[in-house]
Amino acid sequence: MATSVTTPKLTTTFYKRLPITVPLSSHFLSLQNTLTPFSHNCCSLLYFQCQRRHVAARAKSDNGAELPSHYDFDLFTVGAGSGGVRASRFAANFGASVAICELPFSTISSETTGGVGGTCVLRGCVPKKLLVYASKFSHEFDESNGFGWKYGTEPQHDWSTLIANKNAELQRLTGIYKNILINAGITLIEGRGKIVDPHTVDVDGKLYSARHILISVGGRPFIPDIPGSEYAIDSDAALDLPSKPEKIAIVGGGYIALEFAGIFSGLTSEVHVFIRQKKVLRGFDEDIRDFVAERMSLRGIEFHTEESPQAILKSTDGSLSVKTNKGTVDGFSHVMFATGRRPNTKNLGLEKVGVKMTKNGAIEVDEYSGTAVPSIWAVGDVTDRINLTPVALMEGGALAKTLFQAEPTKPDYRLFPLPFLLENSAVPSAVFSQPPIGQVGLSEEQAIQEYGDIDVFTANFRPLKATLSGLPDRIFMKLVLCAKTNKVLGLHMCGEDAPEIVQGFAVAVKAGLTKADFDATVGVHPTAAEEFVTLRTPTRKIRKSPPSEGMTGPEVKAAAGV
Amino acid sequence: MARKMLNDGELSQPNQEEQTHFDFDLFVIGAGSGGVRAARFSANFGAKVGICELPFHPISSEVIGGVGGTCVIRGCVPKKILVYGASFGGELEDARSYGWEVHEKIDFDWKKLLQKKTDEILRLNGIYKRLLSNAGVKLYEGEGKIVGPNEVEVTQLDGTKLSYSAKHILIATGSRAQRAPIPGQELAITSDEALSLEELPKRAVVLGGGYIAVEFASIWRGMGSTVDLLFRKELPLRGFDDEMRAVVARNLEGRGINLHPRTTIKELIKSEEGVKVITDHGEEIVADVVLFATGRAPNTKRLNLKAVGVEVDQTGAVKVDENSRTNVPSIWAVGDVTNRMNLTPVALMEGMCFAKTVFGGQPCKPDYRDVPCAVFCIPPLSVVGLSEEQAIEQGKGDILVFTSSFNPMRNTISGRQEKTVMKLVVDAETEKVLGASMCGPEAPEIMQGIAVALKCGATKAQFDSTVGIHPSSAEEFVTMRSVTRRVAAASSNPKTNL
Repeated sequence: MATSVTTPKLTTTFYKRLPITVPLSSHFLSLQNTLTPFSHNCCSLLYFQCQRRHVAARAKSDNGAELPSHYDFDLFTVGAGSGGVRASRFAANFGASVAICELPFSTISSETTGGVGGTCVLRGCVPKKLLVYASKFSHEFDESNGFGWKYGTEPQHDWSTLIANKNAELQRLTGIYKNILINAGITLIEGRGKIVDPHTVDVDGKLYSARHILISVGGRPFIPDIPGSEYAIDSDAALDLPSKPEKIAIVGGGYIALEFAGIFSGLTSEVHVFIRQKKVLRGFDEDIRDFVAERMSLRGIEFHTEESPQAILKSTDGSLSVKTNKGTVDGFSHVMFATGRRPNTKNLGLEKVGVKMTKNGAIEVDEYSGTAVPSIWAVGDVTDRINLTPVALMEGGALAKTLFQAEPTKPDYRLFPLPFLLENSAVPSAVFSQPPIGQVGLSEEQAIQEYGDIDVFTANFRPLKATLSGLPDRIFMKLVLCAKTNKVLGLHMCGEDAPEIVQGFAVAVKAGLTKADFDATVGVHPTAAEEFVTLRTPTRKIRKSPPSEGMTGPEVKAAAGV
Repeated sequence: MARKMLNDGELSQPNQEEQTHFDFDLFVIGAGSGGVRAARFSANFGAKVGICELPFHPISSEVIGGVGGTCVIRGCVPKKILVYGASFGGELEDARSYGWEVHEKIDFDWKKLLQKKTDEILRLNGIYKRLLSNAGVKLYEGEGKIVGPNEVEVTQLDGTKLSYSAKHILIATGSRAQRAPIPGQELAITSDEALSLEELPKRAVVLGGGYIAVEFASIWRGMGSTVDLLFRKELPLRGFDDEMRAVVARNLEGRGINLHPRTTIKELIKSEEGVKVITDHGEEIVADVVLFATGRAPNTKRLNLKAVGVEVDQTGAVKVDENSRTNVPSIWAVGDVTNRMNLTPVALMEGMCFAKTVFGGQPCKPDYRDVPCAVFCIPPLSVVGLSEEQAIEQGKGDILVFTSSFNPMRNTISGRQEKTVMKLVVDAETEKVLGASMCGPEAPEIMQGIAVALKCGATKAQFDSTVGIHPSSAEEFVTMRSVTRRVAAASSNPKTNL
């Protein structure tokens, strides 16, 4: 699921570069917003001069045109997810003959099922976001009552309609991905690929030879081995349940856990979240961590903090109980683990050919995505570097260049750090919890550590919509400034539309703008976002020395912003 | 105190006799966005401030208004509330594809929404009054008139007149909706009444192509009414980017509004079935409500400006310099009454600059560059900076246009056929982003941050180097890779008349 931070998205650029001859159907065009925005990054990367000799040598021999190829393909890719598709497509565009194999389509992955498109499209970001949309309606119905809308009977949710429509959409997407591959002239083989030797792949008994083999088989959710773990489900299954969970336990405090908690709560399940820590979302700003948990609790989600499941018990009536370090909670129809993922490297024949792996099963690669076997490469989650779709895309694109354009290219990870991965960066990110979170730059705690003296501006208000709906919704916003330069170091928001709102501000934060620049901007009225340019009184000023001076003066905030 | 103020305020009248005693340092006529902001901040700077405002009522007239002004009572706030209410109509349709079984019989209770809207406005009206009193501003209820360069007369409800002297007078009386001079015009309503209708009209005709017209068309349509929108040009929203105007027109039509471009009303006739609208094409449309959204005029008629020599332009707007000062040195004006850029946040900015200049010892001018704005049609439009046409007209060099048109992911399941469109206009030479527009869900919220970037001269490269928030609509603004078109500078481009 880590990959799901990014949905693949077909941008105009994306298919313009393809030698597509089939007419673009409206279906195809309508996909524009669902394929990756990062397609550009691998093109805009600086071309690295090759510095390591063995890589240079490899790259050179790879591109040596003297020897006529005696292989079936220049590149054989195992796994048609984000990284594999990207590498194959680019390689084909560079003139290589390419084959790719992928398991048959299924919404739930296993040793024998997968599907073209991979985790992100089929079991990650896309289905997740669709379920988030579905689940938000219940809150909107509640809101609409306050605006004069009345229903003969309370709207009921029909689980099977949603799942059928979601799966139809996934089918459509996997079809589009297949077309992309076929149109790029890539041979698509359905079946399970296994590495036989450094230049041979076996797909269900048929052998294919290739000059290069790329392993991009991704990862799968991991459920820790506790008694009764066989009763638990992972995020794959959670996205494709046959019926609504009446009462679900979600184990984990990360963004995936919170997103699923929101989904099931919105679709009217009773939701309990078990987290090991005191608070959710480790690595995020403390105020945001408190605020989102408080808001989610108000919407009926029960958090069990510092409570780790030790066993799952099934009772005679079929319901599940979660036994934790603090006690037992009964009556669950489902227990879901959102506790991490593991690379899909079992039974690939890797050990036999000499590809080295970490103890987690991740393929060890150098900075050019090369494995211990010179003709075998690996990109994406299977290498367990940074498990995000855009990163897999970048790795795939860089590899295609290295192999087929005589441009040894390293993926530039500086483009993609998340705040909790790399601290000092202006990379925005979002959590699609309900309410959602958007953030860019440093948390207050990180800013203090790095800059010492900072000013913090916050707003915590009831939006106009909530005053009418009567619901207890609030919005929290926060600016973290460097006291000396007035530069905006971090911007955080939790509330409706936060991910959309933060994007534009991310441009400003990335450009190094100051609070004065924010203040000079006229508000868009009436919006929630305008609060970010009308914060006037610091909530607190933190000084390393002399000791911090407290300052509280939340102004009476009229909705119209006078 | 008064003397100190005078020294601080660089622009204060240099020739004024320092010994003159005034009842107030500042007297503000009109307690809307601009007036309240100026009054509060002047008071915060130490000035003694009085303000007068007409009695409260949702529908304004020469003698009725209310603390909070147009924005709070008859503008942005009530409108946004109705837009929220109307948006649920589309939501309900979308919900079904997501598995929600919504009962066939859906009722929309207009009266309930209206009541809640009125409650909210009254609440805000109270908050504004409190803001003023907390700042130490003295509030008078009644009609203000200027009787001399330093003299204001307030006629109270009971007819008694109060007279106060003030070192500075600020005119912030705003504007009011106008009716088009058409036979039968008395049968039509303006936006004031439209925000307070007793019943939801089943059939509505809206005349006008401006933002108020398209917003009300969207509101009523969203609540299930039949709506006909008549406007003079080929497209609604004159002054906005032509490409975006076309998008809005398409969306309005897609949501079921009947568009009548190049059409105006010849006559309104009262009939048994309702108001009969006769267009200049000879068409007849029968409606329960006819809304004239045909412009607003500054509220200057009864201020006695002529007598004290304050100049107004031919539309009645008070003429001011860039510091918001009129030709009479002690009299100033901010907000819609000056007809500069008629937006609440701009009035706030003008009011703030006035207070800083006159009482804060920090002379400053309002900056009208890159002011973002939003049109709350459904789905909304929001823009900041230059339109493509404006950028070409300025003719400083070639421009690059980047556009993105996509079907939001949410629509893949709901089946709604409605593209979100985004656009960046970039100076080809400097790479500076000159303008940004978006039409689609959440556009106004998305545009605010973009406005900060534009205001500070962000380049396309800076947009590009920002990582997208995924999956969102807003990320398209930082992932527009290929130029849609390059347009040569000025000169040869024929002006359109859409």
